[in-house]
Amino acid sequence: MTLLVGAFTIGLILALLSLGVLVSFRIFGLPDITADGSITLGAAVTAILCAHGTNPVLATTAGMIAGALAGALTGVLHTKFKINALLAGILVMTALYSVNLRVMGRSNVPLMQHTTLGTWADNLGHRFFGEEGLIILGWRVGAGEIALFLGAFAISALVAGVLFLFFRTHLGTAMRATGDNPQMIRALGANVETHIILGLALSNGLIALGGGLLAQYQGFADAQMGIGMIVWGLASVIIGEALTGGRSLGLTLIGAIMGSVLFRLLVAVALRWGLNPNDLKLITALFVFLALILPGLLKKFRRRQPAAA
Amino acid sequence: MLTLTGLRKTFNPDTVNEVRALQGVDLTIDDGSFVIVLGMNGSGKSTLLNAVAGTFYLDEGRIELAGHDVTRWAEHRRAQLIGRVFQNPFSGTAPNMSIAENFALAARRGKPRGLGFALATDLMAPLRDRIASLKMGLENRLDNAIGSLSGGQRQALTLLMASWLKPELLLLDEHTAALDPKSGDQVIALSEEVIKRDRLTTLMVTHSMQQAVSLGDRLIMMHRGAVLHDFRGAEKKRLRADDLIDLFNEVRRRELLDESAASMLQALYV
Repeated sequence: MTLLVGAFTIGLILALLSLGVLVSFRIFGLPDITADGSITLGAAVTAILCAHGTNPVLATTAGMIAGALAGALTGVLHTKFKINALLAGILVMTALYSVNLRVMGRSNVPLMQHTTLGTWADNLGHRFFGEEGLIILGWRVGAGEIALFLGAFAISALVAGVLFLFFRTHLGTAMRATGDNPQMIRALGANVETHIILGLALSNGLIALGGGLLAQYQGFADAQMGIGMIVWGLASVIIGEALTGGRSLGLTLIGAIMGSVLFRLLVAVALRWGLNPNDLKLITALFVFLALILPGLLKKFRRRQPAAA
Repeated sequence: MLTLTGLRKTFNPDTVNEVRALQGVDLTIDDGSFVIVLGMNGSGKSTLLNAVAGTFYLDEGRIELAGHDVTRWAEHRRAQLIGRVFQNPFSGTAPNMSIAENFALAARRGKPRGLGFALATDLMAPLRDRIASLKMGLENRLDNAIGSLSGGQRQALTLLMASWLKPELLLLDEHTAALDPKSGDQVIALSEEVIKRDRLTTLMVTHSMQQAVSLGDRLIMMHRGAVLHDFRGAEKKRLRADDLIDLFNEVRRRELLDESAASMLQALYV
C-alpha cells in the first residue's frame, strides 16, 4: 500500500511535468527538450534555498521562476535567433547541466534535515490523521503519506484548473491558436514569437515546479534526476490522450494528470514484478515510440482492409 | 487611403533563383475603393498583397495606410489596420479550435490580449446572428472545431472574421481559387455584401475574368512586378471579359521576348 500511495503521489507531482510537456508539445507543437534541464533546475534551486532555511513556498516559487526563465531562453533562441526548436532545447538543457551543478555546488543536495513542503505536509498529516495513520482497504497508511498525497493532488488540480482558465482567456486562446495556425494568428495581430517565448516559459515553469516538489518529496535534488524526463512526460501525455480521447481542453488537461499517475503506477508494478530499474528508460522510450507510430499504423491498416475485402 | 510609392523587392538577390518580384509599384487607393488585381502567374500580384500585409520587408519604397507609415511595421502590427483572407481555406482559421474561439480571436485583431474571458457573452449574441445570416446552419455549431467544416464554409467564416472589426484595408488573395464553383460563388456574394455594407477599402487578387469584370470599381493589371494597366470608373465599367483576354494575349506576346529585347523593340517601333 505504501508503494501504491507513493506511486500515486509521485504521479501527481510529475503531472506538473506532463502538463508542461502538454503545453510545449501538444499546444505549441514544439518538441522542447529543455524539460530535462529545467526539472533539475527547479529541484536544484528549491533544494539549495530550502537547505539555507528559506521558506519552502518561496523556495518552490523561485525554482519555478528559474525554470520559466530557462524556457524563455529556449524560446528566444528558437524565435529570435531562428535555431531549430529541438536544437535550441538541447543547447539550453546542456547549459543547464552546468548551471545546476553551480547552483547546488555539488551533484546532490540532501534535504532530510531541512524544512520543506514535505515536512509541512507530514506535520499537518499527523495533526489531522493522528500518529497511527489510517486504515485504507485493510492496509495501514502513514498519516504523512496521506498528507503528501493530498497535497500533491491539491497542487496538480489547482495548476490544471488555473491552466484551464488561462487557456480560455484572450491571451491563452491566442497562444493556443499560435500552435494551431501561426499564419492565421499573425494575420490577426498577435506576435507569434512572443507567444512562443511565453509558452515555453509557462511550460518549463510548470516542469520546474514539478522538479522542486519532487526534490522535497524524495528528500534530495540530484544533477542526474532530469535525464529522460521529457520522454516520461511524453509517455504521460500520450497515455492521457488514450484515456480521455483528448477532444477538449479540459479533458486534455485532466488526461495529462491521469496519464502521469497511471504511468507511475505501471512503473511501480513493473518494478515490483522484477523489472531491472536500469531498463526503465529503454522501455519507456520504446513505449513512446510505439505510441507515436501506432495511430499512423492503425490508419494504414484500416485503409488497407476494405481494399483487401 | 493606401499609398504605395516605388515598391521594389527582389527575392534571393544575386543567386540563380533571383526573382525581381516588384519593380517599382506606385499606386494610390482611395477610401472605400474596391480594386481588382489581375495578372499572369509571376506578375507580382500576390507579392504586392504580401508586401502590403507585411509578410516581408521591402528593398525600397514606402507604404502608407490610413495616415500611418507602415513600411517598417511588422506583419502582426499591420494587422491592426488590415483584414486578410488567404487563397488556402486552411490558412485563415485555427482548425482545432471552435468557431466561437476563432471569432473571439478575430474580435481582438490588433488589440492587446489580456486575461479577460475570450468567449464573453457580449460577443456571442452578435456572433450567432451574423453567422446565422450566412444560412449555412453554422450558428448551432459554434462549439465545433472549424477543421470539421468544408473549405467554402471556412473561407466564408474567414471573411467574416477578417471584417469583424472594420479594417482600414481588406486583402483578398485569390480567396475563391481553391473552392468548387458553387462555394466560390457564395463566398464572392458574401464578399460583395460585406465590402458594400462597411464600405471597405479592398484589394482583391483574382484569376477569374468574370469576377474581374463584375466586381470592384477599379482594375489594375500587373506585369513583371509593375502596374501595366489601370482602369477606373466608367472605363472599368465598360470592360468586358473579352477586353481582358485581349490584354492578356498582348502580355503573353510580350512575354515571348525577354525584357531587354521588349524594351528595345518598343523604343524602335512604338
